[in-house]
Amino acid sequence: MSILPEAAKAYIGLTSEKEVACDPVERGAVRRYAQAIMDEDPAYLKECEANARYGGAVAPPIFPTHMLRRPFGAPDPIQDHADDPNYDGAGFSQGLPKIEPLKALSLLNGGSELEFFRYARHGEVVTVQSRYASITEKQTSKGPIILVVIESDYCNGDGDLLVRVRRTTIRR
Amino acid sequence: MGEQELLCFEDIEVGANLPVLEKGPLTTAHLMRWSAAMENWHKIHYDQRFTTEHDKLPGLLINGSLKQQFVVQLLKDWVGRSGWVWKASFQFRAMNVVGERLRVWGRVAGKRPAADYGLVDVDIGILNDNGVESTPGKAVVAVPYRGKGPVPYPFVPPAGA
Repeated sequence: MSILPEAAKAYIGLTSEKEVACDPVERGAVRRYAQAIMDEDPAYLKECEANARYGGAVAPPIFPTHMLRRPFGAPDPIQDHADDPNYDGAGFSQGLPKIEPLKALSLLNGGSELEFFRYARHGEVVTVQSRYASITEKQTSKGPIILVVIESDYCNGDGDLLVRVRRTTIRR
Repeated sequence: MGEQELLCFEDIEVGANLPVLEKGPLTTAHLMRWSAAMENWHKIHYDQRFTTEHDKLPGLLINGSLKQQFVVQLLKDWVGRSGWVWKASFQFRAMNVVGERLRVWGRVAGKRPAADYGLVDVDIGILNDNGVESTPGKAVVAVPYRGKGPVPYPFVPPAGA
């Protein structure tokens, strides 16, 4: 018996608005990020021989995918949930509406695929646009599951593709 | 990243292991620093009580997003400035909890020529001290042919990919 509602399939191809990261690639943010991942590559610090081929100081490869932060003046989910002991602090929507027909199913991270084309340089603006690439059902030894794949394109201000990410979530 | 000899397609042997990248032991300070750097406030990475009592998890979890970084670093440092990490895919099969030491590994699974560079398929993963694999995956990197100059940047995938 299928657990994938027909109404859920209508979300396939649904595309978010193009969102602009609230800050460009900042040197200080890159430093903190590089230190946190423990990869203090000189290419991330300042213009030097290590990044000459990339046109100057760059951010780590996956950095653009973490640039969609809460803009100044936007609602504060931490304060809004300060009295909710069940609030888990997570919050990342990729700009897409939740799939209403699947909202009663639990959600697990099923993995991701990253495809790299160029680095984001210090000072560059980054945008993201996401879409529901596929919503399919799969039979497993533990029963049927639904695989939801969201594809996100991260580009610089000129529209050049930096990174493409396909995130798979499992609903059961 | 230190200086290294130029890695060329011709030098790579199928079955060869990449130099292991070790990270950790990863403490709560490591996880908090990463959460702050990416502004992700999911409590399962820093709130012990919420994690074990509310979410019934075995301990504070090392972020999947942090583990991805380690694998990409392994690949990036291996191919060097003349190469390019094109694709990396991961599955989060097992949890890693705070206090664990991670061994990030890669093994050459295959190689195939393309017009302007060579492509190398790499099996990747992360083992903890108990030998449990948590993040198996596959990657494709591009490396130059000997004497042909670096992989063109920005990276352009091979035709038909």
